[in-house]
Amino acid sequence: MDLDNAFNGSLEEVFSKLKRSVWVFHLNTGSCNGCDIEVLDVLTPYFDVERFGIKLVGSPRHADLMLLTGPVTLKTLSKVLKAIKAMPRPRLVLVLGSCGVGGGIWFNTYSTLGGYSGLEEVLKEAGVEVDKVVYVPGCPVRPEAIIYGVAVLLGLLQPKVRHRRVMAVEG
Amino acid sequence: MVKFLKIFSVSAREGTVTRKYPFESPLVTPEFRGRIDIDPVKCVGCGACTRICPTKTLTLSYEGDEAVLKYFIGRCIFCGMCAYVCPQNAITITKDFELASYNLSDLYDEVVHRTVRCSICGKPFTTAKLVREVETRINGGDVEELLNICPECRRRLTVRRIGSRVVGTGGE
Repeated sequence: MDLDNAFNGSLEEVFSKLKRSVWVFHLNTGSCNGCDIEVLDVLTPYFDVERFGIKLVGSPRHADLMLLTGPVTLKTLSKVLKAIKAMPRPRLVLVLGSCGVGGGIWFNTYSTLGGYSGLEEVLKEAGVEVDKVVYVPGCPVRPEAIIYGVAVLLGLLQPKVRHRRVMAVEG
Repeated sequence: MVKFLKIFSVSAREGTVTRKYPFESPLVTPEFRGRIDIDPVKCVGCGACTRICPTKTLTLSYEGDEAVLKYFIGRCIFCGMCAYVCPQNAITITKDFELASYNLSDLYDEVVHRTVRCSICGKPFTTAKLVREVETRINGGDVEELLNICPECRRRLTVRRIGSRVVGTGGE
């Protein structure tokens, strides 16, 4: 894996970049619980993100980072707004899963906002600013992908995916 | 107190279970499905993948003289049905799952096809590569003149031909 090279090998260098621990708050906005179980997996000793100082907290008031799963249903919208408003600045959001990123199979249904892009507009209307957003696709997201997403969010790694537009080769 | 000490014997037996993920390779099995990769050389733009896609993450849209096959990774559920159904085997399932990005526009993957205009009505109706592919598959035949006609005009033409044949034989 080229990940080892991206981290420049030494553990000390990586941890020096992590100035402080990131406390996360996990918010389910109507997801199927697949991503939530993967979030749980990340926190258990098998993947153990506490080695990076990432800690799950019970209140958005204590959190730096919000793990947002689900397509943001209309039923949860008011609670989601309240929770994001309650977070202190700088607010970081890690959007997890296909539902959160693009709405998943509910991208154009009547009862969801179609993922974070819909929520972003509502947040803008409500005047709630979010400082940084990182999208992590996957259905469900792999625990490794969540760790990678957090690394991208903290600026330890650069995102790999780029917009690609190619002409079909004829002949 | 004694119950608490039990954990030492367990940890001595099991060792460290924590994976050192960013510093070691991820656990990827041979049957793991990550993002798909569309080969612009093999793809003919038939749209079979867009019809089977459960989340409509693959879309084929006609923009003027171009037909764009769009793949939005953000909505993909990595089922691999597109690769299964692709008649040209242009879609491969990669093992790539580290897809985090700062903005949604980075999650788009587009293949642009040249379209063919209908020789009767002049509307773009299909991709140039698909027409060529169909031409080679039917191996000439006597329908070659119908290849560059859109389905709607083709229907009208067929009806007119049948009509003229019926009227023609009836009139004589």
